[in-house]
Amino acid sequence: MEGAFTVALWAVRLAFLALLYGFLARAFVALQGALAAERAQAARPAGIADLVARSAERYPLRAVSSLGRDPGCDVVLRDDAASSRHALLTFDTGEWWVEDLESRNGTLVNGAVVRGRARLAYGDVLTIGRTELRLEHPAKP
Amino acid sequence: MSRRAVELRLLGWPVALAATGGLAVALADAGAPDLSTVAIPLAVAGTGLALHLALRLSGSRADAVLLPLALALVAIGLVLVRRLAPGLLPLQLAWLAVGAAAFAAALVVPRDLGALARYPYTWALAGLALLLSPLLPVIGREVYGTRIWVRLGIGSFQPSEAAKLALVIFFAAYLAEHRELIARAPRRIGPLPVPPLAYLAPILVMWAVAMLVLVAERDLGATLLVFGGFLALLWLATGELAYVAAGLALLAAGGAAAVALFPHVAARVEIWQRPFADDLRFGASYQLVQGLFALAGGGLFGAGLGGGMPERIPVVWSDFVFDAFAEEAGFAGVLALLAVFLLLAHRGLAIALRAPTAFLQLLAGGLAASLALQTLVIVGGNAALVPLTGITLPFVAYGGSSLVANFVLLALLLRVSDESARARVR
Repeated sequence: MEGAFTVALWAVRLAFLALLYGFLARAFVALQGALAAERAQAARPAGIADLVARSAERYPLRAVSSLGRDPGCDVVLRDDAASSRHALLTFDTGEWWVEDLESRNGTLVNGAVVRGRARLAYGDVLTIGRTELRLEHPAKP
Repeated sequence: MSRRAVELRLLGWPVALAATGGLAVALADAGAPDLSTVAIPLAVAGTGLALHLALRLSGSRADAVLLPLALALVAIGLVLVRRLAPGLLPLQLAWLAVGAAAFAAALVVPRDLGALARYPYTWALAGLALLLSPLLPVIGREVYGTRIWVRLGIGSFQPSEAAKLALVIFFAAYLAEHRELIARAPRRIGPLPVPPLAYLAPILVMWAVAMLVLVAERDLGATLLVFGGFLALLWLATGELAYVAAGLALLAAGGAAAVALFPHVAARVEIWQRPFADDLRFGASYQLVQGLFALAGGGLFGAGLGGGMPERIPVVWSDFVFDAFAEEAGFAGVLALLAVFLLLAHRGLAIALRAPTAFLQLLAGGLAASLALQTLVIVGGNAALVPLTGITLPFVAYGGSSLVANFVLLALLLRVSDESARARVR
C-alpha cells in the first residue's frame, strides 16, 4: 500500500515535469510556425505598396508612380484641385519618397508642405489637391 | 490556423501542469487530493479561457504564444503557493482574478495605444510618485528592512510594480520623440556623444531617482529594474553603446558611494559576498544560505514536488520560489522554467522588432526588457550571483501587486503585437 502510494506520487511528479517539457516543445513549434509565416511575408517583393483613399479605394503602386489628373498618370485623381502631373512616388533604397512636380496647390505629407523630395513612411497621409491618400502595405492578393 | 486557435490549443498545457503539480503537492502534503487539487487547475483554466475570450472579443490578431507561456508560469506559481504557503492560496487566487480583470481592461483602454505617448510627463510624474510613495509618512511601510510598501485602507501594495509600467511608457514616449537629437549629438568627448544639456537631463534625473530609491528605500531591486530598464531603452532608441557604458559607470559609482556611506547598503553587499561567514550565516544571511542549500539539494531531478524542505527558507513563498522549485523539481525543472521566461522575453523583443511606430517599438522593447531584467535580478539573487533583492519572480512568486502589474504588461505587449499584425494586413 505504502509502496503503491509512493509510486503513484512519483508518477504524478514525473508527469508534471514531462508536461512542462511537452509544453515547451509545443510552444517552440508554434513559435517556429509564426517565424516562418513572418519570413514568408517579408520575402514578398519589396517596392510594392498601396495608396488608400478616404473612400477605401486602393491604388496599387509601382516602383515609380506618377500621380495627377492626367489619364496618363499611374494614379489618376478625379480632383480639380490637383494638377495634371502633380507628384511622383518612388521606391528608392528601401524607402518611399514623394516628389512634388511643381504642382499648383502643392503636396502635403501629414499636413506639412513637401519642398522638393520628402520621405514617406507607411501610414503617412499624402494630400494632393483635396484628395487624401494613405500609404499602406499592399492588400493581400 | 488562426493565431487564436493556436493559442486555445496551447492553453490546455498550463491547465494540465496545474492539475499534475497540484495533485503531486496535495498527495505529498496530505496523502490525498484536497480542495486545492481541483481549485488550482480550475483557476488556471478559467483565467486562460476568460483572457482568450477577451482577446477574441476585441478582435485581436496578437501573438498566440505569449498568453499560454504566462499562464504556464501562473500554474507553476499556484502550485508553489499551495506547497509553500497553503494559507495564502485563496488570496493569491483572488489576486489572479484581479490580474485577469486588469488584463481585460488594458486590452480596451486606451482605445488607441499610441495615445499613451501623448502625455509623457504625466507618466513620468505618476511613475516617480509611485516609486517614492513608500517614503511618505503614515502610508509608507517598512517590511523586512526595505521600505517598499504602501498601506491604503485595508490593503497594502508595492507601488514599484506599477511604477515600472508607468516609467517604461514614459521612457518609450520620451525617447521616441527625442531619439534623433540624443543619438546625433553635435559634440563628442572621446567616444562619448554629448547631447545638448536639456536632453541629458532626464538621464541624470533617472540616475538620481535610482540612487534615492537605493538609499532611502533600501530597494536594490527597484533601482536595478528602473535604471536598467531605462538604459536598455536608451540603447534600443539610439544604438549608442556609449550611453549604456556611461550609465553603468554612473550606477557603479553611485553604488560604490552608497556602500561606503550607508551601512544598510553595505550590509546587503556583505551578505551577498560572504553568505557563509560565521557571523552572518545564522543571522543576516540565514535566508540566502538556506536558499543556496535548497538550490544545491535539488540535484538533477529534485526531491519531487512536495518532497523537499523549502519551508526552512524564511519568506520562501515570495522571495525564494526559484530555489524552492529548484529543490523539488531539480535542475530539469528550473531549466524548463527559465526556458519559459526566455521564450517570453524572445517573443516580446520579436514583437518590438515588428511594431509599426517608433513609440510602439520602444514600448514593447522596454516591457520585454523589464520582464527579462526582473527575472535575471531575482534568479541571480536567489543564486547569490547578484545581491539579493525584494522583487518577485514574475507570474510565479506569491504577491498581488506583481501579478496584476505583469498581467497589464502582458496585455500591452499583446496589443503592440496586434497593431503590427493590423498594419501589415491593411
